[in-house]
Parts: sequence; structure tokens; C-alpha cells
Amino acid sequence: MQTNSSETAGMTPLNVLIVDDSATMRALLYRVVGLADLPIGAIYQAPNGAEALKLLEKHDIQAVFTDVNMPVMNGMELLREMAAHDEWRDILRVIISTDGSRLRREEARELKVSLYVEKPFRPEVVRDVLCQIASVDVH
Amino acid sequence: MSSVKSPALTSTDQDALQSAVIEVCENAYFVFVEPCDAPQFSALVEQVRAEKGRGPSGRWLNASVAFHGASTGEVEVVLPERLGTWLVVSLLGLPPDAVLKDNQLLDGVGEFANMVCGAWLSKANQTASFTLDMPKVSRMPAGWTPDSAPSGDGQAYRTVVVNDLPLEVRAR
Repeated sequence: MQTNSSETAGMTPLNVLIVDDSATMRALLYRVVGLADLPIGAIYQAPNGAEALKLLEKHDIQAVFTDVNMPVMNGMELLREMAAHDEWRDILRVIISTDGSRLRREEARELKVSLYVEKPFRPEVVRDVLCQIASVDVH
Repeated sequence: MSSVKSPALTSTDQDALQSAVIEVCENAYFVFVEPCDAPQFSALVEQVRAEKGRGPSGRWLNASVAFHGASTGEVEVVLPERLGTWLVVSLLGLPPDAVLKDNQLLDGVGEFANMVCGAWLSKANQTASFTLDMPKVSRMPAGWTPDSAPSGDGQAYRTVVVNDLPLEVRAR
């Protein structure tokens, strides 16, 4: 978990959860999120949806970046669980996946996913997503 | 949901496979990719073989990702370990001389194959949804080298050069 004490004046630090079964992708997203010029509070990581749910129950998280294809519990199952919890309704949901099919995107839209980023992606896309998140009141 | 074996792949699928490799390398890894023909690929394979003994450079990695959905099949990427290391180091923004743990290398190369497979499926079939299995990555035996030609019908096959090293990709 990373904590970043550099806060931008007037902005509440964002706690971010990265969910991907690939340690490489988690490391990449961790780095990209950490490099964003935004007040990042903590960056949590989970290798699947089930572990992500445990972190959501324990921590105050404002944004979730999740893969779709994962063992144990996939990203869509995680998002369905999140949708069933009213206390998580304001968490911003971002999918980062190789699966860019229309069907999956429609499913994501129904599950209140704010943004769908297809792999491969340029790091600045994730940075822009974070800036977009920061520009709205997440609390 | 029923799935069917992929039909014979068309020249469009072949082109999409090359486009997928280029897209992944250039967008995620910031590396330039050049297509290469069979003689050039063989020469580069020979060059890798000649480097045997200098660290991991002589060994090859094989990463495959199976997919299911409107059709079923597999995408396989074969590359020298040195190129695999270089790609993962580049993706993670590590120093060029960084030493990767074995699980980092294999996971990173698996993710590369995962992205190539996903990008290819998106290009080859924009409407259908597919499920991708976890990547399987293995280190080939010492002395093993890839074929410089497709091994049968019904597969898309391309060879490219990445950072002066050969990379082979096939889909079936």
C-alpha cells in the first residue's frame, strides 16, 4: 500500500483500489497512479474480486480500477457485488481490460462503470481518468 | 454457452494479428516493431543462439492464452528471454539493468501475450465477447529454437522484430 502525503490544496486524498490478477499490471497501475499529479491517499491492491471485496469492507476507497478476466471472482462479479451495496454507490468504477467487446461494455455501463479502458493503454489515459475523478466530488 | 472451434483464419485475421502485436508494443511498451520475413527471422534466431552463454539471452519463452466465446482457440507468443526481460523492464519503467525475479518475468510476458490476444480478438471480431484463460508461460529447453514457418493450416502466423530481437506470434 502506498500513501502519499503531498496534498493539493483543498482536495481530499483519493484512496484507490487496483484489482488485477497480473502482478505486472498491478505494478504498472500502482506506478501510474502514484505519478499522477493528484493527492493520492492510499493505493490498495487485490489479485481478484473476492480479495477486493475484503479491502472495500475494511477501507474507505473512492476509486476502483479492475480487470475483467480474473480467477476466483472476476471483475464483472465484483462490480455486481459492489452494485448490491448501497454504501459503495459513490465509488468510481473503472475497468481496465483486454476485453473491449460491445457486449462487455454494455454490461459495464449497467453496472455504473464510469470508464472502460482497453488494454493496451497508454499510461496517460489512466492519469487522465484520475484527473477526471479528482474533478468531481467523490464524497 | 456453446462454442465452436475457430474456422480457418483469413488473411484479414493474419493482418489483425500483426496489428495487435504492433499496437501492444507501441502503446504499452513504447517500442517500435518491424515486420520481418522468414529469412530475416531465421538470421535473428541464429543470432540469439550465438549469444548463448551470455546470461539468459539464449533461452526462449513461450506464452499462450486460450480464448472461448463465439469461437475458441489460442494465441501463442514466442520470444527470447532477453526480449521478455526487456519488455517487462520497459513496461514497469525500471532501470535498463534491473534484474527481474523469475515470477516477475513470467507474469510480465504472460500479460504481454494476454494483451496481444485481447487486441487481436478485438480486431478480428469486434462484436463478439470472449473469455480469456490465464496466460501459460514456459521457458523452452536450452538449445530450442522456433520454427520460422507456420506449422499448419487454420492458423494466423506472423514474425516481427522488436528492439532488434525476433518475436513470433501465432493464433489458431
